[in-house]
Amino acid sequence: MRTIAVLWASITMASALHAQVPTTPSDSAARAKAKADSIAADSIALIRELEQMQRGNAADTTRGTQVAGPSNPRLIPDISAIGDLVADLSPDGSTQESGNRFDIREVEVAIGAAVDPYFRADFILGLSDLEGIAIEEAYLTALSLPAALQARIGRFHMPFGKQNTTHRAELQTVEYPHVIQRFFSPEGLKGSGFWVSKIFAPFGFYQELQATAVNRLGDAPDDSVTLAEPLNKRLSGLGYSARLRNYWDLSEAANLELSFSAMTGKVEQPLGIELSFGSVTANAVPARQSDLGIDFTYRWKPLERALYKSFILQGEVIHQLNADAVAPLAPLICAPAPTCPLPDFGRSLTGGYVFARYQLTRRSFFGTRFDFVQNPAASEGSTKAGSTYLQFFPSEFSKFVVSYELLKPGTGLKSVNRILLQTTFAVGPHRPHPF
Amino acid sequence: MNIRIIFCAGVMALTLGASSQALAQPKLRIVTSTTDLDNIAQAVGGDRVSAIHISEGYQDPHFVEAKPSFILKLRNADVFAFVGLDLEIGWMSLLIDGARNPKIRQGGSGYLDVSRVVRVIDVARGNVDRSQGDVHPQGNPHYWLDPENGRRIARLFRDKFSELDPAGASTYAANARAFEARLNAAENQWKPQLAKLKGKPVVAWHTSWRYLAQYTGINIVGFMEPKPGVPPSPSHLAGLIQTMRRTGVKVIVMEPFYDRKTADFVAARTSAKVLILPPSVGAIKGVTDYISLMQYDIRQLADAL
Repeated sequence: MRTIAVLWASITMASALHAQVPTTPSDSAARAKAKADSIAADSIALIRELEQMQRGNAADTTRGTQVAGPSNPRLIPDISAIGDLVADLSPDGSTQESGNRFDIREVEVAIGAAVDPYFRADFILGLSDLEGIAIEEAYLTALSLPAALQARIGRFHMPFGKQNTTHRAELQTVEYPHVIQRFFSPEGLKGSGFWVSKIFAPFGFYQELQATAVNRLGDAPDDSVTLAEPLNKRLSGLGYSARLRNYWDLSEAANLELSFSAMTGKVEQPLGIELSFGSVTANAVPARQSDLGIDFTYRWKPLERALYKSFILQGEVIHQLNADAVAPLAPLICAPAPTCPLPDFGRSLTGGYVFARYQLTRRSFFGTRFDFVQNPAASEGSTKAGSTYLQFFPSEFSKFVVSYELLKPGTGLKSVNRILLQTTFAVGPHRPHPF
Repeated sequence: MNIRIIFCAGVMALTLGASSQALAQPKLRIVTSTTDLDNIAQAVGGDRVSAIHISEGYQDPHFVEAKPSFILKLRNADVFAFVGLDLEIGWMSLLIDGARNPKIRQGGSGYLDVSRVVRVIDVARGNVDRSQGDVHPQGNPHYWLDPENGRRIARLFRDKFSELDPAGASTYAANARAFEARLNAAENQWKPQLAKLKGKPVVAWHTSWRYLAQYTGINIVGFMEPKPGVPPSPSHLAGLIQTMRRTGVKVIVMEPFYDRKTADFVAARTSAKVLILPPSVGAIKGVTDYISLMQYDIRQLADAL
């Protein structure tokens, strides 16, 4: 833990120091003189003319010619909000977590601004009936680090895989792929801790390595789950991840991203009973969980027709390795019987998806996705799903989606037909288009 | 013996290579958001700068994808010059954040918002919200289509490049003067065509042609878009057709990246002609620099009207 604290302190100090690297006095003097020399008479005349024009405009509103002033003279942070509404018209009842047919799934409020010359702060709060107010993300980004580094401290979406880094309301589908929902959570995987990234291009194409150290892997379970000692008591109990992004321009219109992700940490495995460990009791034990992932995204968008035509093909496979920390305790759990049936916590699971989206017109898109993910019990086989989407964007700030999904949960369970309607809408400053 | 000769030759080659590198003038690395800024930067910077751009002349500069390959272009840039007034708002912050280059961040020596020295029109007054479409509250960002702003951009580049490369100040000043002289000469040639255009009614697809209209004197009586960035609706087009018939509009002006089917539909009902004009350098073949861009647009308008 101290190592991480020292690392963070070093990087934040480096950020501030790097931004303040002084130039030599001779450089400064030469530059100042040259700058003064370079502002020739016509340049001064230009500035005067612009000033006059500004003064003139106050009286002459018909002229309609101005010089741009500051866009945010009061230094107010960018504040925006996104509403995410889902209607579930599935024939066999709502399939939403809330059980509602019509649901305000979440309202996301984002606030962001530069803190000072060295850092930027971003806060994203999620408001929902289920969770109340939740801190989705809140982080400080060091923007002035040397050696093409960037670092964050706070809570953020874990840089694992492609879709997990995108907020749910900004997904190109209504929900995350099933593998992300199953392995992580319906809202993706977040972590609180430290994030660092470096870009490089030794082979002539863009590469980025992202690494994190977070308080724990995944969301904490509820208070009823108890451990003999906190997961994060030792450094080995924290969550760690790494992601290597590789990007190529295949042509002016097409590009490919191929990335690899890895993550490890400890999670609670339920014992089913309460056991004594020395002076404390616990009903769960820590067990290592690791995930390996590979994802690709192919994009095609001809520049001249970029408003009307585009295509995305995306796929991701995640393999989850689970250590079984319960099995070695079987004699204690099952006593006095020497063995008893325990869940197979040590099963490794695989899941993935393939997604494609084609732009039909300037404002409408058609998408389809195929999902598969192994179920925790070997006897239950795999969950498979096929879904299609029709999206309509009245503008950059609102979206309507109609989705149909056929979900096959696994052996012995009935298939589910899901019909979802989604509306998202945003107010506030124009946010960058997701890439 | 042979080994000694080879060793000495190798050392000499390395020394010569190193010294020639040291003597070579390192160029200022300029990245611009558009081809127009790139071309003016090259005209002013000459051999002392290497200039590249992000968006191509034939694409909508608002809808540029924030590709990681652009991040590589920006990470070693000395200057990032952009149009501003929210034209690049959909992608610029992602690229600047991704580049991790303090020089081109706001407040850095290479962060160059070109809009701060130009004459801006359509600055919003009163309350502004998105019910007015994709508004640019700070003003219309397509200002390079007024040659006077082209001159101002050149002067801004001259001063910025001189600040960062004092040894080249006289070169930049001379290049900027030469650019202005070429532009002045071209403007003198355009005078007869401009006189012909004055007061002629046209319809434009987007508000991007407002600066060219102001410069040429043409009168934009309506837009294909009911509001900036909003695709035409049938009811809007019906009203526009009436306006065009009433005012005698002969030309619909639009960029090559919009779908001309709708414009053709309107043109067929009004006997007007659809004129695809390049909004930027490189948008069509032959428009290879800023002056030829202005010249092409003015000539096309004059021929059509």
